Amino acid sequence: MKIAVTSILIAIILASAVPLPALAEQNSTITITMTGLDEISISLDKTQWPLGTVASDTEYETSPQIEWCTLTVQGTCNVNTSIVGDDAKWVSDPNAYKWTLSSDGTSGEHIYALWFRISGDTARGYIAITKTQSEFWPYSGGSASSLAPGDTKQFGLRLLTPTYFFSGRQMQTQITISAVAA
Amino acid sequence: MVARIKSAGLIAAFLVILLPFVALAENVNFSVIPAEVHIDSLHPGEATEFELTIHNKDEITHNFTFTTFRPREEERREGRAEFPDDSWISFPCPRIEITANSQANVTVTVAIPQEQKRAGRDWEIWLGVTPESSDLLAVKLYVRLLVSTSGTRFNVGLLAGIAVAIVLLGYGGYHYFRHKARRD
Repeated sequence: MKIAVTSILIAIILASAVPLPALAEQNSTITITMTGLDEISISLDKTQWPLGTVASDTEYETSPQIEWCTLTVQGTCNVNTSIVGDDAKWVSDPNAYKWTLSSDGTSGEHIYALWFRISGDTARGYIAITKTQSEFWPYSGGSASSLAPGDTKQFGLRLLTPTYFFSGRQMQTQITISAVAA
Repeated sequence: MVARIKSAGLIAAFLVILLPFVALAENVNFSVIPAEVHIDSLHPGEATEFELTIHNKDEITHNFTFTTFRPREEERREGRAEFPDDSWISFPCPRIEITANSQANVTVTVAIPQEQKRAGRDWEIWLGVTPESSDLLAVKLYVRLLVSTSGTRFNVGLLAGIAVAIVLLGYGGYHYFRHKARRD
């Protein structure tokens, strides 16, 4: 009987040894680290492009072409920047009518295209802005590094209107430039 | 001359006014602190909180909205996987109003469900802060949120093997001592 009890005790001790470390981990301390309390901030010196009336299937470019807007890094950390566009919606009734933003830089009926070009970026030239967030600066495949506090980037926009659209409607869209710590 | 007039009329038919809100131009100047947050040793089933500070540096009041964004692999820190579910992150409200030249703290909650498969993971997700604006160009600032969960991942095979070994060891020990006792 003593032998049986001893054997069972040994088995219990061994069985306990396995989950104990796991139980200990459940009581571990959660650590939250806010790296150096860096401040992230960028600014744009222009946010409007008042085109007025536009014709169908026509290209419009900002003036000056590629130095129209200046992005400035204002925080305390280096940043990588991205850009994303959206459909242009009818101001009076956004759910009733829109121009779809092209995914490849070409236009169509009720489909428009947007591009950006960064001053000094001779490798890429004009890049299509799509509804998928993509690199603004730096970009993969390039030798450029992230933007440091105080750095600036000048850029311009190009719009290609739809080949056909309903006239006389005020359309509104938004391009978002984002920044994240490099 | 008639042809020219017809042509002009055709063009006019396709005219549209794009972005007419010059008077409402808002070049929002703002910042977010910190730029990066690391949460370590968060056990599945637990929740934790941290604060973001949004500084409205403009001369007018702005509303700021919050979003989450799952970056592509090449945009994430090395060794970080995609955050599995945006709903594990919550903000106290979808937007916050911050008056001119002032700042506000926003408490962000991260809660990981109690699932063993979530243990021992390293994830990354970005928290976006955007001022509401009707301008053509808008700025969004992202905070990198790096979350690491604690605990060992559940290994069914390993645990089953250990359990079988324990049973066999106990059984063998029992028979050994019983046999030895009979001989004595």
